[in-house]
Amino acid sequence: MRILLVEDDPDLSRQLKLALADAGYAVDHAPDGEEAQFLGETEPYDAVILDLGLPKVDGVSVLERWRRGSMTTPVLILTARGAWSEKVAGFDAGADDYLTKPFHTEELLARLRALLRRTAGHAAPNLECGGLRLDPRAARASVNGEPLRLTSLEYRLLHYLMMHQGRVINRTELVEHLYDQDFDRDSNTIEVFIGRVRRKIGPERIETVRGLGYRLTPGDDPSGQTAL
Amino acid sequence: MAPLFGRPSLVRRLVILAAGWSLAVLVVSAMVLALLFQQAALRRFDQGLLELIDNLVAGTTIGDDGQVLAPALTDLRALRAYSGKYWQIAEPAPGGKLKVLVRSRSLWDSELRAPADLAARHRDQPGRPVSYDTRGPLDEPVRAMATQAKLPNRPTPVVFMAAEDRSPVDRDVRGFIAATAVAFALLGVGMVAAVVIQVRVGLNPLFALRREVASVRRGKAERVQRAYPSELAPLADELNALLAHNQEVVERQRTHVGNLAHALKTPLSVMLTEAGQRPGPLAEVVAHQTEAMRQQVDHHLRRARAAARTQGSGERTSVADVLDELARTLERIFRAKGIRIDWDADEALYFQGERQDLLELAGNAMENACKWGQGKVRVRAAPLSSERLRLVVEDDGLGVTADQRASMVRRGERLDENAPGSGLGLSIVDELARAYGGALRLDDSAMGGLLVELDLPRSEA
Repeated sequence: MRILLVEDDPDLSRQLKLALADAGYAVDHAPDGEEAQFLGETEPYDAVILDLGLPKVDGVSVLERWRRGSMTTPVLILTARGAWSEKVAGFDAGADDYLTKPFHTEELLARLRALLRRTAGHAAPNLECGGLRLDPRAARASVNGEPLRLTSLEYRLLHYLMMHQGRVINRTELVEHLYDQDFDRDSNTIEVFIGRVRRKIGPERIETVRGLGYRLTPGDDPSGQTAL
Repeated sequence: MAPLFGRPSLVRRLVILAAGWSLAVLVVSAMVLALLFQQAALRRFDQGLLELIDNLVAGTTIGDDGQVLAPALTDLRALRAYSGKYWQIAEPAPGGKLKVLVRSRSLWDSELRAPADLAARHRDQPGRPVSYDTRGPLDEPVRAMATQAKLPNRPTPVVFMAAEDRSPVDRDVRGFIAATAVAFALLGVGMVAAVVIQVRVGLNPLFALRREVASVRRGKAERVQRAYPSELAPLADELNALLAHNQEVVERQRTHVGNLAHALKTPLSVMLTEAGQRPGPLAEVVAHQTEAMRQQVDHHLRRARAAARTQGSGERTSVADVLDELARTLERIFRAKGIRIDWDADEALYFQGERQDLLELAGNAMENACKWGQGKVRVRAAPLSSERLRLVVEDDGLGVTADQRASMVRRGERLDENAPGSGLGLSIVDELARAYGGALRLDDSAMGGLLVELDLPRSEA
């Protein structure tokens, strides 16, 4: 397993490199944003540990550039700033997990293991539909290269629609596939979620077929094939 | 100006000055007008007397025996007794007295009184008629005129005198003064009213500025925005500069505290990692103390942020946007646990305050729910009134007892030492909600777990 460690503090870098090597990982180290971006784009890593406060280019920007370039490697963010606005920005930029400084090395290693395990199992192929792209391995979606920001239910809804694109899916079928059996049904209706997903991916992509249900179409995408 | 009634007032000062000046001008001009009218009326009156005397002088002849013969005058009023129009012809007698030679029928057997200095005045300015006021035969006020002339064939000069009741003139003057006084009083009242309106309207921008400053203080506006007249515009600009400066100082303090806090965290990480790699009693102490330091730093960092909140910033934040951001972030953070967040808020619901603060308020409450819940978290935001909104966060965990609830918001208290996180979440929410003039309430949720209710300021439209 090959890990990229991006951290500018020399002491912390040295310690983390040691700890990661002891745990059996091969570690590359980048002390600033520019080098991190270059290494991330050119080398095939299994995971990245990314500090947000970096010289030259900050961590969130590096992550955004990686994700825009469709790099799907799982990224664990390290930061001194624990405010919610930063966590939201980190996850929206495409982070997979988040650890606030100071932390115990064991916790970092545990999170890293969980991250690698989670992304290793599934080998499902990416789904595409006229500019829409969904990566089930990383549970991420994008539209025309822009990352989409979806809650878990919205993601599940889009995932199901993309797996059955072009077909009309009725409400009952959607409800059955969206909710786990152990839990109460969400009090928001399917219409609310369809509305929220439409706002995020563009309203023309989800067609309402009256009396029958919903259908995902490639929309008016310039590159897309409009044939169903 | 010394305060007339308590605090000095600009409006009162301007009104008193303008009204005082206008009233003085009005009173003086009314008096001058009355005087001019009276003089004109008297001049016309005297003209009539002079004509009578001229006719007398022209028509008077001396009889063969030296007797003075008055002409037959056409004015019939002089024939009727005590009619108010009189004349007489007299000659100076020894001792400054006058001896009446002929008199009008209207005088009957009384005579016109002459002023004591008549002879002297005739001597000083010969040929010039003397006007004076006296009393008539019925003791009525009369205006009289006397002139001295020499008649042919008579060695001593003769004094011709005419008089007429002046009460009609006095009545006219009094009537004029009364009418003028009424008209000018009305004019005065009108002018004072105009001044009051003018001052009120003129000072309106000042009142508008006061209202705007008040809304800035209440956090409804960020700065003074209206276009003010040139006299007030510099004041508004200065106010805005002061507000900007204030905000900058607060912002700088926040940044300083933030930088200090964050600068401490990387060294803390180094200490913690170093200690972790060399197990032993020292490492345990270091790990424990590092954790305590982190909690302190977090606590004071958030306190500084909450304290800076007391000053309104005029910002507003969409509740639905923030809940959406937090829901997808928390679902990723708690992915291993499979937490699902069911949230709902009206798209048009806005929080009166900064986005960052709503993220902290809702984020900590929702994170707490994700930690304790077993898989499902419900978040609802709804307007309470035009100025308040309510945010409710519920989980399906095991819940807490009433005693535990009371201690939950105390600083840094943890209910379950095994749960991840510092346990600072809800006390920070409480503190921040208070800084926004809101409140935090804890209750049992119908879902089984804890219900956290936040009362927060709302921004309408």
